[in-house]
Amino acid sequence: MSTHTNPLVEHLFRTTAGKMVAALTRLFGTSYIQLAEDIVQDTLITAINHWSTDKIPEQPEAWLWQVAKRKALNEMQRKKMILRYHQGELAGSESYHQEIDTIFLSHEIADSQLRMIFTCCHPSLNTASQIALTLKTLCGFGIKEVARALLSTPSTINKRLYRAKQKIRQSEIPFLIPSGKKLAPRLEAVCLSLYLLFNEGYNASTGNQLIQKELCLEAMRLTKILVDHFPEQDTLSALLALMCFHSARFEARLDDKGAIIIFEEQDRSKWNRDLITEGMLYLSRSTQGSLLSAYHLEAGIAAAHCLADSFAATNWASIKKQYQLLHRLKPNPIILLNLAIIESQLNGKRASLQTLSHLAKAGDLANYYLLPATQGIFSLQLKDYPQALLFLEQALQLTDSASEIAFIQQKIQACRVAMAN
Amino acid sequence: MREFLLILRGDGMNHLSPDELQALFANYQKWVAELGEQYLGGQRLEEEGALLTNPTEEILTDGPFLASKEIIAGYFMIQAADQAEANEIAKRSPHLGLYQIEVRSLVFPKMK
Repeated sequence: MSTHTNPLVEHLFRTTAGKMVAALTRLFGTSYIQLAEDIVQDTLITAINHWSTDKIPEQPEAWLWQVAKRKALNEMQRKKMILRYHQGELAGSESYHQEIDTIFLSHEIADSQLRMIFTCCHPSLNTASQIALTLKTLCGFGIKEVARALLSTPSTINKRLYRAKQKIRQSEIPFLIPSGKKLAPRLEAVCLSLYLLFNEGYNASTGNQLIQKELCLEAMRLTKILVDHFPEQDTLSALLALMCFHSARFEARLDDKGAIIIFEEQDRSKWNRDLITEGMLYLSRSTQGSLLSAYHLEAGIAAAHCLADSFAATNWASIKKQYQLLHRLKPNPIILLNLAIIESQLNGKRASLQTLSHLAKAGDLANYYLLPATQGIFSLQLKDYPQALLFLEQALQLTDSASEIAFIQQKIQACRVAMAN
Repeated sequence: MREFLLILRGDGMNHLSPDELQALFANYQKWVAELGEQYLGGQRLEEEGALLTNPTEEILTDGPFLASKEIIAGYFMIQAADQAEANEIAKRSPHLGLYQIEVRSLVFPKMK
């Protein structure tokens, strides 16, 4: 009977599942990611059956590893014919038992997770597949959770994962941490994938806040594993710094009711100081070499915002310079939008509105809600209410997000009130 | 008191995420705890097995040989006063919804 009432650590199953899938894939080879996932699933089900009718063991995670190991051994004996070839390349004459014991050592688990990161972010997979596969295998998300996080449907995600695993099998992608000349391009792909994973969480304008935050935390957790293993890789440190600075502002972006608070009006006391300090640490580590990546610049911009005591005290000139460098590195109309917004701080809102209207004419951002929203807010602040209304109504057509719609409608209301007076 | 066998069919838990399984665990634990002495035991079954129909025919083996919703995933043994109470217990189980549950009484009186 259940007498043990200690609750399990939050997300214990999820975090352990991510580690176990990586360790088992190392044992079986990348062609058998699905088998690794099945064994882990079965292990978790076994656990809840046992723990519900008996009691939770003293060390639940160790218990899970023990069961997964037994199931893996059983599976290997059953499928001897298929797995023997892989065992040969992996462990020479060592027995299954020795091999599996080594792989399940705690420091080897981190190593397996690293290999899994490089496998999931392999250049032969497109970034959408990389992100879905990372969430499913490394982060222990279920199909429905991946779909919710990436604003997709379970059947789309299912197909995407199936094809990704098929591709990995066909391409015979090895379960290795690349080295030598191969490392740089592979790391670049990994950085991009983790950066996009983070942005999926950070920039999502619809969807569940809690899940979006989990995405950011997972992206940071994986980036940290990489930084620990490759402390000399400046780009990785810059990426992690960037994530720290953005996450520091996570709580301040929405009010108690979940409504958007614009950057200028955010309560800076709600910014997470520990994360800002951590971000500064990684940012300073990232400048050991002479390399300047887009992540460095984005981290630098985020740092400039985080370090300002108030919106007015922001070092706009420095931010502008970094945006200009960034635009040279990876030209992008959203950077131009940001530059135009910064111009409002340096040369006033009228000058900024002029630049914004050039941008609007260029057409690259025709469907981007933030362009007319910015024009509307600046016009409102300049008391040009009829013009503001036009822009705001245009912005309203370009978003499906409930919080963005509420935000714009609140501004429209402010215009109407001002016009009536 | 009579003894009942709850037979669970399906593969519901195979499709839950680790987070969902962990959430289910709390309900499962509560269900067993509330049953107290009425809970007698239970087991999961492997999906593979054999199906025999007569001594001469070939054995169907190495399943799954049934559609997944028909596979017996496991069973519980419980004690209840009558069929109605046993049904109530099955209804409160967190497994219902994930699995189809067949509630069957052992023949009464049970001969020792």
